[in-house]
Amino acid sequence: MATLVPPSPATAVTPPAAGSGAAAVEPQKADYLNLPCPIPYEEIHREALMSLKPEHFEGMRFDFTKGLNQKFSLSHSVMMGPTEIPSQSSETIKIPTAHYEFGANYIDPKLMLFGRVLTDGRVNARLKCDLTDNLTLKGNAQLTNEPHMSHGMFNFDYKGSDYRTQFQLGNGALFGASYIQSVTPNLSLGGEVFWAGQHRKSGIGYAARYNTDKMVATGQVASTGMVALSYVQKVSEKVSLASDFMYNYMSRDVTASFGYDYILRQCRLRGKIDSNGVVAALLEERFNMGLNFLLSAEIDHQKKDYKFGFGLTVGE
Amino acid sequence: MAAVRRPSLSRSGSGDDGILSRISDYSIVRKGKSAACDAAYVAKRLLKSTGKAAWIAATTFIVLGIPLIIEMDREAQLNEAELQQASLLGGAAPGQPAFMAPPK
Repeated sequence: MATLVPPSPATAVTPPAAGSGAAAVEPQKADYLNLPCPIPYEEIHREALMSLKPEHFEGMRFDFTKGLNQKFSLSHSVMMGPTEIPSQSSETIKIPTAHYEFGANYIDPKLMLFGRVLTDGRVNARLKCDLTDNLTLKGNAQLTNEPHMSHGMFNFDYKGSDYRTQFQLGNGALFGASYIQSVTPNLSLGGEVFWAGQHRKSGIGYAARYNTDKMVATGQVASTGMVALSYVQKVSEKVSLASDFMYNYMSRDVTASFGYDYILRQCRLRGKIDSNGVVAALLEERFNMGLNFLLSAEIDHQKKDYKFGFGLTVGE
Repeated sequence: MAAVRRPSLSRSGSGDDGILSRISDYSIVRKGKSAACDAAYVAKRLLKSTGKAAWIAATTFIVLGIPLIIEMDREAQLNEAELQQASLLGGAAPGQPAFMAPPK
């Protein structure tokens, strides 16, 4: 006669169920000690900016880039078209200009140098150098013929495991600092302060960015009166839609814009419509390896200002 | 403005006023004329604003819609051509897995 009672199957079953239940819950729990590094503070609106504010131009543009080496390349660029002059009246004044720009680029994993010289006397220079693994130095400068219009700026960026800080020095006693921290795997918050000695102005600002695989939502407030919100949704791997809202509470200026960004295999098409009555589109089409054709259009219904441009880019 | 004459149905004057001027003296005719003027004014404004709206819609569609349609068409053509190429070359391929499976 069996006096031993075999263990009831119920008690044997429940612990594995609890174990698998716990295993299913764990991947969803955030690992707060290993948060990802956030996007740099000045690029917080990056997706919205790339989709809604591409480089529209007016006139003709031709760029030729020739690589001499793996790291060194030269670029020649011709631009002909009207340039707008800011005027007090509502009329836009355009003056036809044409210039040629010669540039040299040196690209290394640790050091990047860009220099440009234009026929109207301007010289641009940009530098990006990784001093150590976490510390980066960036600088840019522009020299012009007009007096008091030249400026330069240096940035020191430090990247931590889940935060970034930046310190900025510019000419005219411009100092700035910013800090951004990942709070959860999807949310990052940051702030910045700046002081402009020449104009005796200082300001403080805050920004927040929430992103998942499919969408990015950002918001930024600054004491200069600017409030900017943006939302980008990736509808499929080729299409994303973006919208942007900017409000200046000092000058009571409001602008909202909505746009699409189609990244297809042979072209990239970005179009947007604005609350100021501006409709703009930019098409970059790849004809061949290294040959890109650009078409840009910007129609301002309110000011009746129409700008169309075409361009060609040769080289990588 | 114009002298308001209030003609009564029984006229005391002689019959040398023309019948049209007599009819147009009635207030109902005057009201009808002003209503027609207003309607013409409103219709003209509506036509102009519809014309403006149509122009804005058409130019906006040209800039935003036409490149999109053209590019989507080209993408669809490219996909179709690739599918055709794949089906042309892929006629030989399915032989391979079936060949490899039995030795396993």
